[in-house]
Amino acid sequence: MSHGMNRRRFLKVLSVTGGGAAVLSGCGIGPEPTEKLIPYLIAPEDQIPGTPTWYSTTCRECAAGCGLHAKVREGRVIKLEGNPDSPINHGRLCARGQAGLQGLYNPDRIAGPLVRKAPGRLEETTWDSGVALLAQKVAEAKRKGIVFVTGHETGAFGELVDDWLKAVGGRHVTYEPFAFEALREGNRLAFGTSAVPFYDFASARYILSFGADFMETWLSPVGFQNGFSRAHGFEAGRDAAMAKFVSVAPRMSLTGMSADEWIAVAPGTEGVLALAMAHVIVSGRLARVPGEMGLAARLANNLAAYAPENVARTTGVGAHVVERLAREFAASGAGLAVAGGMATHYPNGAEIVAAVNVLNFVAGAVGKTVKFGPDLAVDAGSFRDAAALQADLAAGTVALLLVHGANPVYSLGGFAQALGKVAFTVSFSSYLDETASAADLVLPDLHPLEQWNDARPRTGVYALQQPVMQPVFPNTMHTGDVLLRASGKPGTFRDYLQGKWRVLHQRHGRGKSFEQWWMEAVQHGGIYDEVPTRTVRLSPSAIPPGLAATRRGDDRYPLTVFPHPALHDGRGANKPWLQELPDPVSKISWHGWVEVNPETAGKWQVASGDIVLLTSPYGAMRAPVWITPSVMPGVLAVPTGQGHTAYGRYARDRSFNAFQLLGDSPAAYGGREFLVSVTVAKTGDHRRLATAEGNAREQGEGIIEALPLAKARQLRAGQHPFEEKQIPDYAEAAREGWAEAQHEKASLGNYAGAHPRWAMAIDLAKCTGCSACVTACYAENNLATVGEELITRHREMSWMRIERYFTGGERGVPVGAVVTPMLCQQCGNAPCEPVCPVYAAYHTPDGLNGQVYNRCIGTRYCSNNCPYKVRYFNWFNYAEPGGEWESWPEPLQLLLNPDVTVREKGVMEKCTFCVQRIRAAQNQARLEDRAVHDGDIVPACAQSCPSEAIVFGDLNDPRSRVHALAEDPRGYHVLAGLNTKPGITYLAKVTAGPGAEA
Amino acid sequence: MTNSGWQAALGVVCAGVLASSIPAAAQSGQPGGGGGGVGAPFKAPVISDTASLGGPRQPIFFRHDVHAGQDRIPCLYCHYTVAVSSEPGIPALQTCIGCHQIIGGSAPSHQVEIQKVRKAWSDRQPPQWIRIHALPGFVRFPHQRHIKVLGTNACAMCHGQVDTMAQVSQVSTLRMGWCVSCHAERKVTQDCTVCHY
Repeated sequence: MSHGMNRRRFLKVLSVTGGGAAVLSGCGIGPEPTEKLIPYLIAPEDQIPGTPTWYSTTCRECAAGCGLHAKVREGRVIKLEGNPDSPINHGRLCARGQAGLQGLYNPDRIAGPLVRKAPGRLEETTWDSGVALLAQKVAEAKRKGIVFVTGHETGAFGELVDDWLKAVGGRHVTYEPFAFEALREGNRLAFGTSAVPFYDFASARYILSFGADFMETWLSPVGFQNGFSRAHGFEAGRDAAMAKFVSVAPRMSLTGMSADEWIAVAPGTEGVLALAMAHVIVSGRLARVPGEMGLAARLANNLAAYAPENVARTTGVGAHVVERLAREFAASGAGLAVAGGMATHYPNGAEIVAAVNVLNFVAGAVGKTVKFGPDLAVDAGSFRDAAALQADLAAGTVALLLVHGANPVYSLGGFAQALGKVAFTVSFSSYLDETASAADLVLPDLHPLEQWNDARPRTGVYALQQPVMQPVFPNTMHTGDVLLRASGKPGTFRDYLQGKWRVLHQRHGRGKSFEQWWMEAVQHGGIYDEVPTRTVRLSPSAIPPGLAATRRGDDRYPLTVFPHPALHDGRGANKPWLQELPDPVSKISWHGWVEVNPETAGKWQVASGDIVLLTSPYGAMRAPVWITPSVMPGVLAVPTGQGHTAYGRYARDRSFNAFQLLGDSPAAYGGREFLVSVTVAKTGDHRRLATAEGNAREQGEGIIEALPLAKARQLRAGQHPFEEKQIPDYAEAAREGWAEAQHEKASLGNYAGAHPRWAMAIDLAKCTGCSACVTACYAENNLATVGEELITRHREMSWMRIERYFTGGERGVPVGAVVTPMLCQQCGNAPCEPVCPVYAAYHTPDGLNGQVYNRCIGTRYCSNNCPYKVRYFNWFNYAEPGGEWESWPEPLQLLLNPDVTVREKGVMEKCTFCVQRIRAAQNQARLEDRAVHDGDIVPACAQSCPSEAIVFGDLNDPRSRVHALAEDPRGYHVLAGLNTKPGITYLAKVTAGPGAEA
Repeated sequence: MTNSGWQAALGVVCAGVLASSIPAAAQSGQPGGGGGGVGAPFKAPVISDTASLGGPRQPIFFRHDVHAGQDRIPCLYCHYTVAVSSEPGIPALQTCIGCHQIIGGSAPSHQVEIQKVRKAWSDRQPPQWIRIHALPGFVRFPHQRHIKVLGTNACAMCHGQVDTMAQVSQVSTLRMGWCVSCHAERKVTQDCTVCHY
């Protein structure tokens, strides 16, 4: 624009030549002439441009070992879904599993090997020198102490580490902050085996959980939740219609929210309660005690001290309640009691597990719902080992420490200091977490989605992990390959893995050649065997002779530290999807909190958001108060996961690290105590909580309807107890005119002829509020994460949210919670559509409330007029590279779904039932000359749902599942009185609580 | 640059617009591609003046008129995913070399270009083609569905008579009005979310 050519004159020239816009876009049509098309050199056989390829692999975000199907487009994985072949998760996947992608494309991944040349600085190095340095340090450290710390490894990689350590002389320590020591020890006490059985929730007719958060972090949450919803979901005509679920815990967790009855019990007395129930069953002969002659009598004798009236004071649970629960449990014929999570992190955790085992045994559950045989592989790792390691480090008896898949510096208070005494530390972490930052040599591993490995999460399940794409950072290396190279062994880790599978082939090959069998295993994500259950015998000495007393100081409060459902032990903190995901119970994101009962808060005179100083004997931290009825009075609860000092931009310097309140010495059973007593001091500071909660109570708005079980069982087809008269009398005449106009409109142009009406049914008797659907929606629909500040301004972009409302708590009604997914209702008579001045919001012929992004000018009228508040406005340009609100910093943008527009600033966006999946299924059906079948289209939320609560389909197809569910007597529409005619039918929740029979 | 200089430059560009839009008018609606009309064998001309050709100059002077016109290679031989996927696919260099490791070209001008292909193959450096057809933003176009309905010879309806183009240029606007006019004519859906999502 030099030479006297300013903007004004330039525009004038354009107007003279008469083709302004056309010229600017390059000869009038098409793209800028510089856009390049670069073909493949050799086209990959299994990739079709524009069409996804799916690969089976195994999720490694936790120890559960769920099967995955990875959706790969043009060589990049863009979505993870559950593998339906896997018996672990039955095709379902949780939020943490979905977010594995953000670990793969994490912008803070280490791109290549690093070495510490000067104190405080890690510098880039080459793999040759990195591996040579490792080999040299191993040679130097021989016989001076070599320790390899890994996370929970059940497959070939763990075996390789053991082989390697055997060769160089060292010890293997498995470290998981939330291991299952109490469970193993409790099983050993009761049954003489430290195996962890498979809990068959699906077969249970009565479920009792003593603190076990089996839907969020406990053992195998996706599979357990799937089984739970099969048992607990309401099914008219089934023997008991639904299995009742009772949660015994001092705090209501995500799992506890699904409970029909919440028994708030004094922390540490769960076992006493279980034994009291066992006492009722044995003394009342409510069930036939299995096992040898005379066992029942011995048990009755040992249980004598646990009569309900004796334990009422200790537990805080009345004798009549214990009596009733025990009778219900025994009468169900297939009860299942599980102990875990909070209830096993006490000093007496193992005794509590043993007590619950006794209860299961006397009620006949062992072998029926508690299945030894297909044992869960959690038999590695103990906090005692970790504590011993820390002591060894501090004593200077370890010369070389290698760390893979664990971050002890973050979760073990004294580890960082002890690390200073180690001559050389090697980290294999993919991220600069606290431990890697303190290491002398960092040899970044491939992400699990980029590597070969396997896992054996359950006896009989051999889950394979294959690379689903080329490494995002090509200068990273499989740790298995590093170990093989460092020890001068030939071959790669893949060869090592295949060697292990050749052994398996001899047993499981069924006459197939290895190559064929291997290919089939890779295709199906592994091999899955049925394992018979074995019988176990109860040892009556598992019942302790006296009642355990709880520790309680005067000015001290018991505080339980629980694993965050999304961030878990902190490993999820570097993934913005998990940070942004509101905690299912508190609805708080991007920050930690301390749960305080209103009664306790009243005593302290604090409000939600007030920051208090919590001081335990081991440490202190500041935490904002969240006042909630979901924790019992006098008890405090804080989540883990936040408070990182490293681990990337999303995790660092955020909130508090709850591990700092915990001690470093193991309990008698070898685990860590997560219950500490704290003093509380007000600081006078306040913090606005980033919460997605609008109102803690539903206020009778009819958003969530619930039915007592007795009433639900009486419902007959054709009845519609929730049907409201949608049109008031005075509007009847107007309605007739409206109906005529609609009919006319519906017979014109695009609206003429027969069309599907896409609709959804959401069964609230199955929905648990786990929020897997929320993260699935983020992944599928390119939803931006906006960060803590914008969440406090309620500018989150989650098209799908889980609304949680507390119930009861007054007039003697017990506290409970109800949850519902809230997303665009795809109204038949949508308030958003007529107010759009540019027809960006409009009604599609197939019944969707369409939103045309390139037409939207951002008036936000539609959002103002939406009674469900499910439209989300782009206040900023979240996709702008390097921008202030950038949501997908390089290389995170690689996970964007190419089938969905990335919306810009100033545009309204919303759920359209995954319209891209609808169109893809229609295109495919057209290609195959057929109609779209029911079940062809599965939106991302419905696909991920571990409870299978969401069903999608064509309402106009009388044979579709959604049509049948829309006719269900439990069906209702949210805010039906507004005459919006939603496309989503909710099926009322059914409660089997103590008042359910009334 | 002076005022008049800019005007002259823009004038030239606009002439280009006009020229490239003529074949579009002449050929719209004619089914073609995959070897041209029956009975009249097409002979690709010898090109001496490449500057007069429409469309951008490509790194290799690949002639659709020779391959698709004269040699009657079906469009789907190279763009083989067009009938099964939303994307037609740009053929991998391997597809080119499949023939051209044997076929070296008849005319010297052809031999020069084929040498470029062979060099790209031996250098493992695929050519960086200049993109000609690109949809405006926010639009989805499933190729497979259109091929299913219109047939495998329907490519020319949107892409023009590529089998007579020595150098490919864009003949259709690919703008919404152009899409909708065809949808209206054929009485098929004009719903927004069929393409916009």
